[in-house]
Amino acid sequence: MGLATVLSDPVLLGWVFLAAIVGMIVGAIPGLTASAAIAMLLPLTFYMEPLPALAFLYVIGKSGRYGGSIAAILFNTPGTAASAATQLDGYPLARQGKAGKAMKVATISSVIGDFTGEILLIIGVAWIAAIALKLGPPELFAVYFAAFIVIGSVIGKSVTRGLASAALGVLVAMIGLDPISSTERFTFGSFDLTNGISLVPLMIGIFVLGEVFSQIEERGVKTRMVPTGDSDAARNRLTWAEYKPCMPHVIRSSFIGAFIGMLPGLGSAIAAFVAYGEGKRLAKNPDEWGHGALEGVAAPEAANNAVSGPSMAPLLTLGIPGSTIGAILIGVFLIHGIQIGPTMFLTSRDLVFALFACGLIGIVMYGVIGYFGAAYVGRLIMRVPTQVLYPVIFLTSFVAAYTSRGNLFDVYVMVAAGFAGWAMRKLDFNPAAFVISFVLAGGAEEAFRQALLLSDNGLMIFVTRPIALTFLLIGLAAMFARIRSVNKQARAVALRDA
Amino acid sequence: MSPQAAPASRAVGVALILIGIGATVTSMSIGLDQYGRWGARFFPLAGSLSLLVLGVVELWGAKPSEPSDRRHLPAILALLLLSIAYVWSISVVGYLLSTTVAAPLALYIFGVRNPIGLCAAAVLCPAIYHTVFFVALGVFPPLGRWFDLLDIIGGY
Repeated sequence: MGLATVLSDPVLLGWVFLAAIVGMIVGAIPGLTASAAIAMLLPLTFYMEPLPALAFLYVIGKSGRYGGSIAAILFNTPGTAASAATQLDGYPLARQGKAGKAMKVATISSVIGDFTGEILLIIGVAWIAAIALKLGPPELFAVYFAAFIVIGSVIGKSVTRGLASAALGVLVAMIGLDPISSTERFTFGSFDLTNGISLVPLMIGIFVLGEVFSQIEERGVKTRMVPTGDSDAARNRLTWAEYKPCMPHVIRSSFIGAFIGMLPGLGSAIAAFVAYGEGKRLAKNPDEWGHGALEGVAAPEAANNAVSGPSMAPLLTLGIPGSTIGAILIGVFLIHGIQIGPTMFLTSRDLVFALFACGLIGIVMYGVIGYFGAAYVGRLIMRVPTQVLYPVIFLTSFVAAYTSRGNLFDVYVMVAAGFAGWAMRKLDFNPAAFVISFVLAGGAEEAFRQALLLSDNGLMIFVTRPIALTFLLIGLAAMFARIRSVNKQARAVALRDA
Repeated sequence: MSPQAAPASRAVGVALILIGIGATVTSMSIGLDQYGRWGARFFPLAGSLSLLVLGVVELWGAKPSEPSDRRHLPAILALLLLSIAYVWSISVVGYLLSTTVAAPLALYIFGVRNPIGLCAAAVLCPAIYHTVFFVALGVFPPLGRWFDLLDIIGGY
């Protein structure tokens, strides 16, 4: 039914098509991510109907993840962090004159991975929502707690700074009036702060302006593009015999990506590297990996795109964004008055399934455009001078931040967030953990306080309820596992240096 | 550049501790509810104390690191100053005039030196943004307190 709704609406199809192109181009621009594009375009969607608005941003996220592979293969610079694993084999292939072939493998693998993730989402999401409906406040808080810990500790180089990013996100979310008692918190007497910090300017600052600040450090660095072999069509033609060995990797990686996508905060970069590592470990030709193996492009591309659909599952069922794109989409749901969470499948079922259908159509669209036009996108990006592109993005971020509420205070917030975003990247803090925690904090606090009202034993309610205790332990186990892994890596580096 | 004792790591640790202490003190000043319970304090306090603990961990575990590259700091500070000045100027002279100045300055910071390009940006950027956001999308524009070009061009 969702597909019928979408296919019968040419305007909606037009938005999906536009999103497929915009996402691919943005994803392919080194340094610019799909999150940045979505954050910047978010205020424009306030003026659209809910379904086109959500579909537009959702498909940008999908095609943006794929677009990163174009830059990884052609420029040896991953367009997104998720494409860094693709670069390992994609760029050597391009240097061998097989850029076209590598991009075709990336496109097909991305489409298969994304499709697998989307189908798993469609099959599983209603089931997860039914379970989520049975969770009470103590269990919900435990899920939030696990999400905070996983998001803070698993992504990024430093566990301490990742967790500090999450704690900072919680503190910033506390600014304003307490939703229950209307007590002022962290307002320091400022009237503007009593309304709290708005999500949209914060995200535009962290993801867009922060990136503009970072790009100043890249001024003068020329990106070089490997020639795509139009003249060498034979080397760039992809046959079934060549793609067939990639299929087991693509299928395995799709499921790895889908599983990682369901876990809040891990994201497509981790999925891509896990899939690459697993693929190399199980490959018949591990020596070729890293030197231009087609399977080395297929595995990470399938995994990083398979994340996209399942990362929506915690968002739609629990209101917990699994990724930064999910965190941004929360803003769209809220602006259009749609309450996310398990009841959404009762109140807005048609909208949700139409959104999934848009996702499937978007995958087909970026697949077709990418298969035949990825090289042209690469050439187009080479023609756009970054010294003009980033000032334009700089100016757009100001007007986009203002547009969200028509308030100049939001623009100041965006500037502060932009500088903070740059500083966080520079100091190995984790901007994604900061923003996702900012989004989660309100729901987590509500669940925590409701749980305490239900409890006769205060905080003990969280350890006497088995599901709540399980999630608390999952969070702590993830953190300790990560600390152990970081320490192990540090010891290995120290031994090597010694 | 050789690894040095960890000034960055220590600075981060100290900063986290200071923010943690400040936030803890501020959290403790949040009012109690009508029954004298800590309801509104719990989360701010949990976040503040977490920062404090993480700051101590960061300081305690400071490891030698490469000195950070500060070559681009002046350009970054210039862009930050431009950002703040741009928002302030929007509030006093409106969007059009502010963008007329900010657009070429942003291009200049990013290395554009072509005078024709800078002049074109000064005219085109405010015109395009104004048309798209404040005319086509119907967003109410930020008006200047001292002066606004919109008063002269009649809102268009």
